[in-house]
Amino acid sequence: MRLKLILLLFIVCFGSSLSAQEKYLTKQGYISFYSHTSVEDIKAENNQVLSIVDISTGGVAITILMKSFVFEKALMQEHFNENYVESDRFPKASFSGKIMNLEEIISGDNTIARIKGKLTIHGITKPVEIESKMIVEESEVTLQGKFKIYVADYNIKIPRIVRNNIAEEVEVSFNLKHQPYK
Amino acid sequence: MKRIINIAGIVVVAGVLITLFIFVRLYNKPHTDVHSSRPIHQVTGKSIVDEFKNNEDKANDTYLDKVVEVEGTVKNIDTANGNGIITLGPDGYMESIICNMEPTENRKMLSLKKGQKIKIKGICTGFLMDVILIRGIIVK
Repeated sequence: MRLKLILLLFIVCFGSSLSAQEKYLTKQGYISFYSHTSVEDIKAENNQVLSIVDISTGGVAITILMKSFVFEKALMQEHFNENYVESDRFPKASFSGKIMNLEEIISGDNTIARIKGKLTIHGITKPVEIESKMIVEESEVTLQGKFKIYVADYNIKIPRIVRNNIAEEVEVSFNLKHQPYK
Repeated sequence: MKRIINIAGIVVVAGVLITLFIFVRLYNKPHTDVHSSRPIHQVTGKSIVDEFKNNEDKANDTYLDKVVEVEGTVKNIDTANGNGIITLGPDGYMESIICNMEPTENRKMLSLKKGQKIKIKGICTGFLMDVILIRGIIVK
């Protein structure tokens, strides 16, 4: 009897969350960054972004591997990994946050999500607020947008000799198409 | 006297040219060519996933940035942002090996079938929910 009750409770508690799709996931998200200076433009792309969105709570969790960034020039990639973000010591960057205006997005009143959270790069965590285009469909949840980060905020040191080649402010673009997570 | 100046001039110009040449070579250094490089590690899908699950730091030391050849069963074939993606999965595991393939492999990917056993060579970039390889090449 008691076992049945526990089982029933279990079904009531978790059954409802199983029926409605709440969590959406992608393992092939896209994030790129772009640094523009008069000397040279540097771009790197990462197509293996892991991102999870929970449309019941508005939670967003993103993790990326620094080594997955691909640059046009091998030398840039080497400097990025070895000298700037030290990806052997800090192999991952992550973001965890919350969509502040979730109801507006779900109801369709707004397509721009305000996401507040914490961004960790190079072992340093900073609070950030990001605006993102957000489309919620039954089969797909899309987050798309860009924001800027100051390299110095994350204790990334650029040697004087290449200071003119690398921008102090780097533009980060993201395009994350999440599928229902079973 | 004039001669010495001439020789000195030639030496300086040659020095500058050589420096410039080395600089350009270094600047345009090619990416690791996965096609021609020999894999540093040859593993099965199961063993590499186990290694990352058991001790990620240690596995990072072993595999990050290295050309790795993984043998496994094709679990899924997909494309994202124009790149081919082959997922190799050890049976009964939630984790898998996600291989982002080089564009040269697109043709070969068309004839692949789920459940087939293959070997893929690529550069390991780490572990999220799965082990990730980039610049993947189908070996067999």
